[in-house]
Amino acid sequence: MMDNSSTLHLALPAVHTAASATAPPSLAQPRAFSTSVNPLVFFSILDHYLRRNAGQDRVIGTLLGVRSEDGSEVEIKGCYPVPHLETEDQVEVDMEYHRTMFELHKQVNPKEVIVGWYATGAALNSYSALIHDFYQKEVSSFPAVHLTMDTALTNERLGVKTYISAPVGITSKADNCMFIPIPCDVKYFKAERAGLELLANAKSTESGSTTLLSDMDNLEQSVIEVQKMLERVSEYVDSVLAGTVPANNTVGRYLMDTVSVVPKVDAAEFEKMFNSHLQDLLMVIYLANMTRTQLAVAKRLEKLM
Amino acid sequence: MPSNKELSAALDIEGTVPIHSVQLDAMVVLKIVKHCRESIPATVTGQLMGLDVNGVLEVTHSFPMPKNNQDSEDDGSNYQVQMMRCLREVNVDDNSVGWYQSTNMGNFMNQSLIEHQFEFQQALSKSVLIIHDVARSSMGNINLRALRLTPAFMKLYKEKKFTTEALTKAKLTFSNIFEELPITIRNTALLTALLYELETADESVEVSTSHLTTYKSTASAPASKSVLAPSFDVLDLSLDPYVAKNLENLMDTIDDHHQEQGNYAYWQRSVERENKKKAAYLLNRKTENARRAQSGQAPLANEDVDAMFKVPAEPSRLDHLLISGQIDNYCKQINEFAGPTLGKLFAVGELQK
Repeated sequence: MMDNSSTLHLALPAVHTAASATAPPSLAQPRAFSTSVNPLVFFSILDHYLRRNAGQDRVIGTLLGVRSEDGSEVEIKGCYPVPHLETEDQVEVDMEYHRTMFELHKQVNPKEVIVGWYATGAALNSYSALIHDFYQKEVSSFPAVHLTMDTALTNERLGVKTYISAPVGITSKADNCMFIPIPCDVKYFKAERAGLELLANAKSTESGSTTLLSDMDNLEQSVIEVQKMLERVSEYVDSVLAGTVPANNTVGRYLMDTVSVVPKVDAAEFEKMFNSHLQDLLMVIYLANMTRTQLAVAKRLEKLM
Repeated sequence: MPSNKELSAALDIEGTVPIHSVQLDAMVVLKIVKHCRESIPATVTGQLMGLDVNGVLEVTHSFPMPKNNQDSEDDGSNYQVQMMRCLREVNVDDNSVGWYQSTNMGNFMNQSLIEHQFEFQQALSKSVLIIHDVARSSMGNINLRALRLTPAFMKLYKEKKFTTEALTKAKLTFSNIFEELPITIRNTALLTALLYELETADESVEVSTSHLTTYKSTASAPASKSVLAPSFDVLDLSLDPYVAKNLENLMDTIDDHHQEQGNYAYWQRSVERENKKKAAYLLNRKTENARRAQSGQAPLANEDVDAMFKVPAEPSRLDHLLISGQIDNYCKQINEFAGPTLGKLFAVGELQK
């Protein structure tokens, strides 16, 4: 019985690497091509989508970022919207606008380059191919990345997918291409992480708004989180001991490792360290408060004058 | 459909309703944090855009300004005009409502900032300055403050007279140069959906790369796979660098303060000297005149005394105000930092037992 399955041969775009200079030139080694995205990009895309003109179904824009030295890792750091018009038979992209915005952005971030484009709406149609071709020309030697964000919330998910395109078919026309999905990570600075957490607080409120937390409140929240985690863990351990839950060796070992991380310091040593640290801190607080009092007194005196 | 009256009340065309709070869009927060973070240790600025509605200043968009301040001012405004034009095409509110600046360890009170903010507030009465402290934000909590210059200060700055009497008359001290406004952060509905999605771990994880995209957190704790898994940066116990730097800055500012005091004292002494000389001269004149009157000569004309002994003008007290404000700021920072730190310290103590 002959196999009726058909295979499709896809040419992954060859990535020129410094390392592969040693490899025989006939073997274009396609490395694993992956992207990482800054969450700010998602937010900007959503914002752009919200502001679209009436009648526009999807919006597009340019992605900016940096790529790693061998071109296989792309980090998408920013984006800006580009006005475009899509009708039944043609699509128009405002290239002038795209160039101007890129120049402006370069003034602030000279390191960021165009790495691709984004579109809202999960559909990939021939217009996508055309636009992708245009962006491919902008990105020159490296494959352009196309990011889609499903704002229609199909499957109740904001599906984010990233693709690169590969030519397929007999003739190499612009819209004969296939979009190959590539993996996508979310990457951010530590400070942004704190910002994201703050925003996440807002999602449970009605109006979707939250106030800034003072440092104390933030600490309180974290401590409560840790407490909850500890409670969960101790519940689990209790139930395993009581025999109600089957013991999982990996989990048990992991817990043991975690608990042993707490440094075992001799009690007297610890007392000493603790006290000296405390003293330093209290002294600094005292001095700071004294300075403030001094200033306040000076302020009152000035008023009297 | 709101009636015209309601709409105009909301838009406040006359500009009579004072702003009492600032509402930032979530995207603006992230953009500011990202921009300031990327340009450590230089301080950077950017523009804020939005609209003020019913006394709440809503900031919906922001963009960073290029940092080449050495070039002429025109470059900055050219960039701004172009940027606003481009943003208008994609339906972003192109109404400028303020600017933001990054700062390191809270040292932002200087002349240039005040001047800039003054010009801004002159041009647009509804504007705000947002300060983002990068150093403090790396300790697990974002630090954003919304500031405006108080009207009393604006009046005084306009006249540029910062003598002691002017200050006491206006009851202006270093603590009411700026007024701080509360900030709220707003998420749109789609954003809320995004946040929920980022939080839930992707169920069908670890499938081959060609089929699904996976969300992974960079802090790859094996237990938590979601982006918003709790981060415990705030529970970090390394206190010394922050406190040490703060104290250094404090000492530098106190040195400046001392210098200012020295200047003021010098001025006072010179005024004293001039006054004494004037008094001596007048006395001299009087005795001279008396002697002449005795001997029957015409008295010497009373020359213009003031022109001869010019009393030096009082130096501007603006620097003094700013420096005091800065010192106050540093001390407050130390206090605010110390609170949670004491908590952490005692928590560790408990953990040991």
